[in-house]
Amino acid sequence: MLEDKLLVLKCRRGSRDAMCRIYEKYKDYLLTLAKGLLGEQAAAEDVVHDVFVSFASSARQFQLTGSLRGYLATCVSNLARDKIRSRTRQAEALDSVNPSISDSDNPEQRVIEREELTRLRQAISQIPYEQREAVMLHLKGGMKFREIANLQGVSVSTIHGRYRYGLDKLRSLLNSEVEK
Amino acid sequence: MRQAEDIKRLIKKLNDKTSAQMDKRVLGDVLRALEESEQPSALTWPNIRRTIMKSPITKLAAAAVIITAVVLSITLWDRSTPLAYGIEQTIEANNSVRYLHIKNFTAGEDEPREGWLEFDQDGQVTKVRAHMPEWLSPMDESMVIVWKGDVEQVWNKRKKVLATMKAKDNTKEQLTAFLKKVDPKTAVKHIYELQSQGKVKVEINEPTDKAEPITMTVTYLPESSTPDKRKVLYIDPTTKLVNTIELYKLKDDEYQYEGMIELDDYNQPIDAQLFDLQNEVPPDVKHFDQTANDVGLSQGQLSDEQAATEVVRQFFQALIAEDYTRAGKLFVLTMPANQLQQHIGRVKILRIVSIGPAVLNPKLETKGFDVPCKIELEENGKRNTPTLEGIKVQQLRNQPERWGIFSLSN
Repeated sequence: MLEDKLLVLKCRRGSRDAMCRIYEKYKDYLLTLAKGLLGEQAAAEDVVHDVFVSFASSARQFQLTGSLRGYLATCVSNLARDKIRSRTRQAEALDSVNPSISDSDNPEQRVIEREELTRLRQAISQIPYEQREAVMLHLKGGMKFREIANLQGVSVSTIHGRYRYGLDKLRSLLNSEVEK
Repeated sequence: MRQAEDIKRLIKKLNDKTSAQMDKRVLGDVLRALEESEQPSALTWPNIRRTIMKSPITKLAAAAVIITAVVLSITLWDRSTPLAYGIEQTIEANNSVRYLHIKNFTAGEDEPREGWLEFDQDGQVTKVRAHMPEWLSPMDESMVIVWKGDVEQVWNKRKKVLATMKAKDNTKEQLTAFLKKVDPKTAVKHIYELQSQGKVKVEINEPTDKAEPITMTVTYLPESSTPDKRKVLYIDPTTKLVNTIELYKLKDDEYQYEGMIELDDYNQPIDAQLFDLQNEVPPDVKHFDQTANDVGLSQGQLSDEQAATEVVRQFFQALIAEDYTRAGKLFVLTMPANQLQQHIGRVKILRIVSIGPAVLNPKLETKGFDVPCKIELEENGKRNTPTLEGIKVQQLRNQPERWGIFSLSN
């Protein structure tokens, strides 16, 4: 967090290096989050783009009160929600790009994981947006239920409920997929 | 069947990576946005200028204006050019500071030490409120300390205790040493003194762009007591007040970042309530007031061991007499009579069988002893004579001539 404070301070003074460092540090995290919320690569990229451009535009006046990671995740969530609202049809084309997976050296394992993650993405896109947001922001965004509640303007118990229902729904979707 | 844990694990595994193409697009736009935010008028100015300058009459008029401006600027040069920045300007500006909010960040720790300061007309600090995060003292968790002249309040959040004490004689010294590091008033004066003694090298960079802060890099020389330190102060070019201090330490031949001090809310009056914890702490917090003169036992002519033993003797004598008020005052942090009575419960102390000898306990914060005591007591109609091994007696933190019980158990 301290490094972030310093980077933000340097951005306020117009440092390009600091801005690049922030982008490098959070780009993948925000893209994963945006893609989890929107289910679509191009839309997720647009959201990440808009978040960083907006951040850079206000960098001279920006005051960091909490964590930068949390702030950027909140921005992604807000923009993703706007995008969802503006969509006329909720049905989303699942992205053709396979999800990246992390650290397995075993090719067979990687194929299995890729399949699992593709099914997971499909399942995530099928649960209600508010539940999706609670699940993604908590598990992938690393946000606390209290922070998500503040973001969505609802109580912590509501968020907890959305999170639990979201996970249950995901489990049911993935299990039914396996049974087929 | 997939379990919830399995799904959580999978979600955490999701890890999308941006493409080089996306990086190029986003970074290009981001850096452009950053530049534009620095020079807000840069986009509109060339277009307006180009439109106006198309007219030949405008060109002539503009030339005349430029010549006049140059002549005027030469004439007024001596009067209008501001003096170059000097460290004395910040010292002078600091004299007007009455209130200040400080955040001291340390590398590797999320939560800062935070302080609110109030100064008098002479610039002397009169009130301090400090928030000490848990990482500073994991045993105590986070603490809030308020210092006002000769009284200190310490709120220990984990122990749910608010202690009001007389400020120690050395509190002011400790405070001064702390302020030398974090308070710009004393920090800048100190740098100025060190510079005149040749102990630090001060480099000042005053940007031509007046929106940019003045930077003062202070490198501590081998002649100083901390030759491995460097500080970078960012100074507001208008107010000449310090906004940020970055702290560095020389390691492996390079100055590595150690922390940062943020200085906010200059002269924003601080609510008086902030300097009194009495009404702020939650209802379940126990209040102990150690400012009264009759807390503990005065040592008088007794040796340390005798004083410690005497405290225990008087404590049990008070309990035998069922004088819980007197017994409560023999604690380091006075215990209210009703609380002590509750604590003792249905146990009736009948007599002291033996006390001592007092054994020095080096683990206590101030000088203190373990004082074993064998007593006869009655509980539920049954008599018993236990030996209490864990009684700890120590000097009062702020009144070393007085002694009190710190703990009755191990």
